[in-house]
Amino acid sequence: MIVEHAFLVGFSKSFGLFYLIALSVAVAIHAMKPSNKQRFDEAARSILRDEAEPWR
Amino acid sequence: MIAQLTLIERQHAIMISAAIALLGGLMILAGRDDLMGVHGALISVASIIMIFRIGGSYYAPPPSEDRLRHYYDDPSKVGIVLSMMWVVVGLAVGDWVAWQLVNPDLTFGAGWSSFGRLRPVHTTSVIFGFGGNALIATSFYVLQRTSRARLPDQVTPWFVLFGYNLFCLLAVTGYMMGITQSKEYAEPEWYTDLWLVVVWVTYFILYLRTLARRKEPHIYVSNWYYMAFILVVAMLHIVNNLAVPVSLGHAKSYSAFSGVQDAMTQWWYGHNAVAFFLTAGFLGMMYYFLPMRAGRPIYSYRMSIISFWGITFFYMWAGSHHLHFTALPQWVQTLGMTFSLMLLIPSWASAGNVLLTLNGAWDKVRDDATLRFMMVAGVFYGLTTFEGSFMAIRSVNSLSHYTDWTIGHVHAGALGWVAMITFGSIYACVPWLWKRERMYSPKLIEAHFWLALAGTVIYVFAMWNSGIVQGLMWRTYNESGTLAYSFVDTLVAMHPYYIARAVGGLLFLIGGCLGAYNVWKTIKLPGTAAEHAGDLPQPVVLGAGIPQAAE
Amino acid sequence: MSLFGFHYRLESKAIGLTLGIIAAASIGGMVEIAPLFTIHQTVEDAPGMRLYTPLELAGRNIYIREGCYACHSQMIRTLRDEVDRYGPYSLAVESKYDHPMLWGSKRTGPDLARIGEKYSDQWHVAHLNNPRDVVPVSVMPAYGWLLTTELRTDDLDLHLRAQRKVGVPYTDNMIANAASDAYAQSNPDAPQADGVIKRYGKATTLRAFDGQPTRLTEMDALVAYLQVLGHLTDAARKSIAEVEAGQ
Repeated sequence: MIVEHAFLVGFSKSFGLFYLIALSVAVAIHAMKPSNKQRFDEAARSILRDEAEPWR
Repeated sequence: MIAQLTLIERQHAIMISAAIALLGGLMILAGRDDLMGVHGALISVASIIMIFRIGGSYYAPPPSEDRLRHYYDDPSKVGIVLSMMWVVVGLAVGDWVAWQLVNPDLTFGAGWSSFGRLRPVHTTSVIFGFGGNALIATSFYVLQRTSRARLPDQVTPWFVLFGYNLFCLLAVTGYMMGITQSKEYAEPEWYTDLWLVVVWVTYFILYLRTLARRKEPHIYVSNWYYMAFILVVAMLHIVNNLAVPVSLGHAKSYSAFSGVQDAMTQWWYGHNAVAFFLTAGFLGMMYYFLPMRAGRPIYSYRMSIISFWGITFFYMWAGSHHLHFTALPQWVQTLGMTFSLMLLIPSWASAGNVLLTLNGAWDKVRDDATLRFMMVAGVFYGLTTFEGSFMAIRSVNSLSHYTDWTIGHVHAGALGWVAMITFGSIYACVPWLWKRERMYSPKLIEAHFWLALAGTVIYVFAMWNSGIVQGLMWRTYNESGTLAYSFVDTLVAMHPYYIARAVGGLLFLIGGCLGAYNVWKTIKLPGTAAEHAGDLPQPVVLGAGIPQAAE
Repeated sequence: MSLFGFHYRLESKAIGLTLGIIAAASIGGMVEIAPLFTIHQTVEDAPGMRLYTPLELAGRNIYIREGCYACHSQMIRTLRDEVDRYGPYSLAVESKYDHPMLWGSKRTGPDLARIGEKYSDQWHVAHLNNPRDVVPVSVMPAYGWLLTTELRTDDLDLHLRAQRKVGVPYTDNMIANAASDAYAQSNPDAPQADGVIKRYGKATTLRAFDGQPTRLTEMDALVAYLQVLGHLTDAARKSIAEVEAGQ
């Protein structure tokens, strides 16, 4: 039973760390990828465009 | 408003209200020997009033097809009015309990008015009443416009809004009667919690249904934040409130967790409620209303994405910093501290985004108090998140924990960030929603801004002082190696700061009342802007807070 | 209106975002909290730890009802000044029967984790009745009505039963006698008093906590609870003695 707790703690400390690093890297790549730039710029401007009516 | 509903929608609304009334009736029956019966009666009365309201307009002529050419904004309007009502109540109760710490006999000898029962009334009214209603109202507004899609039906949003307010009402009346779970910011008892789950799931499904109707493939980042707010709050709420009721007729329940597990679960909830209720939702608000009001796109959309994911996965690990030096295992405390420090990255990305968006438009910030509310909110967001990470360091926390420093920190965030961004957004969207040229009185907005800023600064400084003084007094030893001050000594030292805090709170409350008055008068203004001008606001600001009239 | 008539690609994006948020948000919490549910394997145990009596449990519920936790912590940290001021630091095992825990987050008033038996019953009654009669500068509200409000006992068995459902080892016997045990604990001369000792152990205190043996008031319950704080087990005092002996 003691092993079980030690295992969970070890898992938290190792996997948890790598999981977060991996997530951070993935997000950074996704956000910074040059090919996404246009899409994001367009998204930022999209709300300011005047379209008065819902399309449906 | 009911005239906007189709005949089928009116029938649905009546059926839902009747079902809730029946539920209230069952609660009266089951809880006849318990305070739960009182809540059953309250639920029944509320839903019967609703039935009569709808029934009264049941035979009104059906709405024209023309309504589908406009966004469905009635729930947003009512939500904003409710939000302003809750803020006045919540701030007033908050200031009352602040004065109780100056003069404890301000309870007037009653049970319901004692500090312990009123404090959750204050926190629930401002966080869930004011903040929650503002989030629901603005999320409907933003969701429709960024998706360019109308809400999919006209009953669900009302169910979400009124259901949520019923939750708030049950919570607040419950505390005054002594119904509480004692879990901070999760005080409502099991049946109220279950009700919120129903409302919340409906809310999220409504969000997905509307998104599914959207025109553009990309989902605007505000919606990400709103969605994270709804989803994660649901998760937190369900897990932290797992409990076994004494019986189905008892309001009282016992938490499924105990001791150290309960402490960890509670502060996992408590800290992430700050993250996803008080931060994510309001960032969603900021990422829409700030660019709209400033008339320019957000400085860096990329930064908003990075900060979104950063907040979503860093915050979850940080809760244990509430439990430094306690019986919680040390490695969990260290984990909490580390992630609290890392949180600074996504937090400052958002705060920086606010300021950089406004960079080059400082003349607008100078002239427009509404925009200034948003800017100051961004500044306080940056300051508070820095302070939060700082306080999560174990050695700092050993001093700050259990003292008023924590209260000061919370209010720097709640008053400086949450309330300011909300007031800014409300002042921006009230004229857009009601199709007015501008708010009733820009001068009152200006007055509100300065009252709010002064109130926040006084409050926060008073609490910093009292917290640090008290923390230091607790740990001061005299030369003989014994504690220098008794607890009562520290209490005497707090007195002047408690007065200053109550005065700061009063200023903020007066500002809130001016805001409510201003919103009310704006609604009552004759519609000077053409009633059928576009539903989308003109994102241009000229002069002293006066948006250009829609043509 | 249509819930199903939308384009599949749009749908998958929103659902993908939803799943992404759930994954990013939940894994952090799970990884961090999961080990705590096996923590009992590593923390100190307290074999002789007693349960709250029905009267003390009722008192605890009054403590919760009045929001005492908003101003009083029950968690002494491992810091020298706290140990000097309040007593041995709190151990995890001491709150293992606390559903929910009442560690608190703010000390507008002092910590109460070891308040039990530090002051007399009369002091507590006078203090709760009007704190300023005892501590002139106190900012605590007065709880005068506790002394005149009868304690509800008819449903105490249900309370104990619910506690058992969440893991507190109350026996059938304790549940069956909950109401009479509550009455007897505050009236030591009552014939049922022996049963309380038999069920909850010799360390149980039987006194007329509010000074009125024949009346069972909310004051009885709250004072009984305050007087047992820090006394359910002596694990904390013992473990510190052990540490010191080992050095």
